[in-house]
Amino acid sequence: MTLLNQIQTVRSRSRQSGSSRITDEQISDLVSKLQDLLPEARLRGNDRVPSSRVLQETCSYIRSLHREVDDLSERLSELLATSDMSTAQAAVIRSLLM
Amino acid sequence: MQGPNANTSTKSFKQAFLKNLLLNLHALTSTSASSFDAISLHQRKRTVKSSTDVAMAAARDDSGDAGAVRWPKAILARASRAFKMRRRRRIVIRCCGRKRCLTRSRAAASSSDGGDAARRLVRRRTMALRDMIPGGRDAAVDETTLLREAMDYVVHLRAQVDMLRQVSEAVQRFSSIALQVRDEQTILVASIVFTGDLLYLTNYLLIWRAVTRKQNDGRDLEPLPKGKHLS
Repeated sequence: MTLLNQIQTVRSRSRQSGSSRITDEQISDLVSKLQDLLPEARLRGNDRVPSSRVLQETCSYIRSLHREVDDLSERLSELLATSDMSTAQAAVIRSLLM
Repeated sequence: MQGPNANTSTKSFKQAFLKNLLLNLHALTSTSASSFDAISLHQRKRTVKSSTDVAMAAARDDSGDAGAVRWPKAILARASRAFKMRRRRRIVIRCCGRKRCLTRSRAAASSSDGGDAARRLVRRRTMALRDMIPGGRDAAVDETTLLREAMDYVVHLRAQVDMLRQVSEAVQRFSSIALQVRDEQTILVASIVFTGDLLYLTNYLLIWRAVTRKQNDGRDLEPLPKGKHLS
């Protein structure tokens, strides 16, 4: 099942139950799915990781991804300064075709 | 990522992201062509970064299930606010919003059961996660929504990083190839001129010989073999 289908199933399940209360089971289900997304190096042993740890690792993972975007943006802005725009556009178009 | 559907939706997202990035970069450099070079490196980096974020958010917002997540619209709202602020040249004080969120979270923590330390830890981590997700600080975002947002956001952030890396490498390769082609073209042109000169010279000699032979009307300019004379 795709990630989107999983999310939609959880949503429809909560609607079908009739109660608006969010069960702990649903939360832990979502937390385990979140855990699956994190790179394996961040979690020693995939089973029985506490939710707080998953949340902490998610925060630090997002922070590191933001840093990567920052660094890559800096690199790209330097490249754009030195090379002309048509080169950059051609490169992006080529990436689109690949 | 699992399933073929995830792959195709990521591929279409990546294509939409690249297309948006292209449009943003073109808009950046064509409208303010001189000023893009004139602004500081830091400003340029910020501009490129906000373009990539807008490209990612717009690409996500463009897909079929755009209504399922809030973070794209949060990014777009933030970017348009920043753009308007820059135009009006006002300083935005962002710490006020952050303080408001903290007091709300502290109130929530104290009103809940004070005994369970683990649950308090989870709540603290959830609050930290709210700050990382665009639009996560909204009070309407409950824990389930936040987790769903986090999953979707992480997936698309990773795709954004991949794409940015690919684009940077492609631009680098292209500019080095362009330089190489320029150099090779110079050599090629020079060699054509050189060969052309040689050809021209050879042709000229042949033509000259033909012409002069005709002019002399049979009289050979070349030294005749001995013993032969023309009357």
